[in-house]
Amino acid sequence: MGTSRRTFLRGATAASAIAGFPRVARAQAKTPVKVGVVAIRAGIAAPVGTAGLRGTEWWAERVNKAGGILGRPVQLVVEEESNPKDTVERYRKLILQEKVEVVLGGISTGVTLALAPVAEDLGTPWLSWDGTTQKGVEETMPKTKWSFRSVDNEVEAIAGGLLTAKYFKGVRTIAGINNDYSYGHDCWQSYQAVLKKLGMDVRPVVELFPKLGVTDFTSHIATIQQAKPDLLMTSFWSGDATILMKQAAGVGLFKSMKGVFTTAGGVHDSLKKEFTPEGLLLGYNTMYFDDPKGSALLKQFVREYKTKYNEYPPYECDHAYFCAESWKTAVEKAAKGGQWPGKADVVKALEGLEVESLSGKRSWREDHVMMCNFYQGITTHKNSYDFVTIDPIEVISTKQAMKPAGTKLLEWIAGWKM
Amino acid sequence: MRQALVLAVALAAVVAVPWIAPIYHVLLMLPFMAYGVVLLGLNLLFGYTGLVSFGHALFIGLGAYTAAFLTGLFKVRALEVILLTAAVVAAVVAMPVAAFCVRYVKIYFGMLTLAFGMVFYTFLLKFYRLTGGDEGMPVARPFLLGRDLGDMPKIEYLAGPYYYYSLVVLIVAIAVMWRIVHSPFGLCLKTIRDNPAKAETLGISVPHYRWTAFVISAVYAGVGGALLATPTGNVDPTLAYWTHSGNLVFMTLLGGFASFFGPLVGAFVFIYLQDFVMSVVPYWRLVFGAILAALVIFAPGGLLGLFPRRRVIEAA
Repeated sequence: MGTSRRTFLRGATAASAIAGFPRVARAQAKTPVKVGVVAIRAGIAAPVGTAGLRGTEWWAERVNKAGGILGRPVQLVVEEESNPKDTVERYRKLILQEKVEVVLGGISTGVTLALAPVAEDLGTPWLSWDGTTQKGVEETMPKTKWSFRSVDNEVEAIAGGLLTAKYFKGVRTIAGINNDYSYGHDCWQSYQAVLKKLGMDVRPVVELFPKLGVTDFTSHIATIQQAKPDLLMTSFWSGDATILMKQAAGVGLFKSMKGVFTTAGGVHDSLKKEFTPEGLLLGYNTMYFDDPKGSALLKQFVREYKTKYNEYPPYECDHAYFCAESWKTAVEKAAKGGQWPGKADVVKALEGLEVESLSGKRSWREDHVMMCNFYQGITTHKNSYDFVTIDPIEVISTKQAMKPAGTKLLEWIAGWKM
Repeated sequence: MRQALVLAVALAAVVAVPWIAPIYHVLLMLPFMAYGVVLLGLNLLFGYTGLVSFGHALFIGLGAYTAAFLTGLFKVRALEVILLTAAVVAAVVAMPVAAFCVRYVKIYFGMLTLAFGMVFYTFLLKFYRLTGGDEGMPVARPFLLGRDLGDMPKIEYLAGPYYYYSLVVLIVAIAVMWRIVHSPFGLCLKTIRDNPAKAETLGISVPHYRWTAFVISAVYAGVGGALLATPTGNVDPTLAYWTHSGNLVFMTLLGGFASFFGPLVGAFVFIYLQDFVMSVVPYWRLVFGAILAALVIFAPGGLLGLFPRRRVIEAA
């Protein structure tokens, strides 16, 4: 009896676990290849999840128009990312029930910390859009076999620190307003560490950590005004960045101080000119929709996105596009003699792989962490939109702003040679 | 007789699931069994004592974090010890919480339990160094009956030994709760639910009985929370969030709080319905809201309330 149950379980999991056997493409020529997607669809991060999903759908349409992957059309199977418990269940469903070849997605690090061990158990590649396996600013899973993680959470704060030193040299006192969860705390800590290392003699005069989702910052703004810092830094990334900007404009906050919005480019087209001043440092994460040096692929994507959704795409589209495109490239690279490769072969092909993504070249580091460029710059009203853009555009690579594999963040920053 | 037959068939079906059901559905039974334990306790308060708690996720969170602390920080891997510790921790926390809450009834009781639940949620979120904040804490794979089983693939571990371990815990929880609700103590609770003033005149110490029922229900939630943690492999503050408490009440209403087995049916239907609806409709919360509204309006007795009374095992 025990033997039959074990046999059954092995049989049931074998299709999705441990390498898999190469299968003959001829037999599957018309069989769609299932690609699992986990995307946030509700709550404060829903716009980010939606952008990722749209990027993936655009990729799938392009691939299918071009004849699929090794002749097989792509079929997306979408499940919702919510809390860790439910998302782990959805993830298992994708692999065990839907028999997908790969899972794409994952935004919240709270969720992806739970997903990564499950991905390792189930033996199917998982390429995370925006989630890491960091605890705070340190890696918890330095060696994974099946999990491919996004850039470290604090990179945009580090890039913001580097550019603060370049553009706002005279700053002596700083204030921080960041969300009260790990991302907000990590960004504020990293930003200060960079300024210190760069020799900026700055003193934090106030640090505020409102709850994620708060929509009234009037008391926070009053506190900041009272502290009279030379510069305000924030890593707000959702609608709260827009609200803060609006409420700050109401009292002319940025007439008396500089502003650094490391991540607000995620809601860039809501930062209207009427309340967003010029001269702020604004980060767009890893894709800038209006890059004049952008590729034809980026321009086509922005054009079609605007036509379809009447919005300009944020960075999450490119995280998602890169994950999907790199997996496709790895499948094609690993395929031998027209045969669909095993999952382990695809993983091997992904390691160190570089592909053309929407924002340019992106790659997977050997330890399965995403490598790409971050875009930040100074806000300007000189454009044809009703919202701000940036000029000049600063491009900072993860080679410069992300800690190398196996290092600790603060030790790495402290070790920078100036 | 018919009731016993139905129970026997249901038990046989649950025992057979790992042999006959697809692996994913076997795994879905794990939260069912964990929630089953939780809801048996919750219904002691809700169905038998007449007190609706909107904060029982607090005790699920306590049980789950107990598993995380024991397997991580203290390197205690025996599930028997984890479950026992979860029960003790839940009881210790429940004692003062219950002392405050049972002084009130109806909406005041509900709001107070909600408040305590949110205090704990905030604690989990804010004390980052201790609890991992929003990122939570990992839960290592527990030993079962002293056996490591670390070499077994996790899916096989969950769908085999852990499945049957959870089932045994659920059966024990059912047996103990059955004994409780059919004891003189359970009879007193029902009297308190139906007429607290009369219960007082009969010499029943209403606050004391409510307090005891609250602590017992918290112990059940703590044990259920510890069972829930292992399949996910990670615990996080959302386990203690008020919406999780709301789901517990929903499950109880869905199955029927007037029946001993109603909450178990509610947990089963809730989990499988959520699994199905989430996959086909992005706005699944709307669907669940509509179901809850329809339930309250058209079937206040829950799913088991739809059956003729003689066919179900009544709470009263």
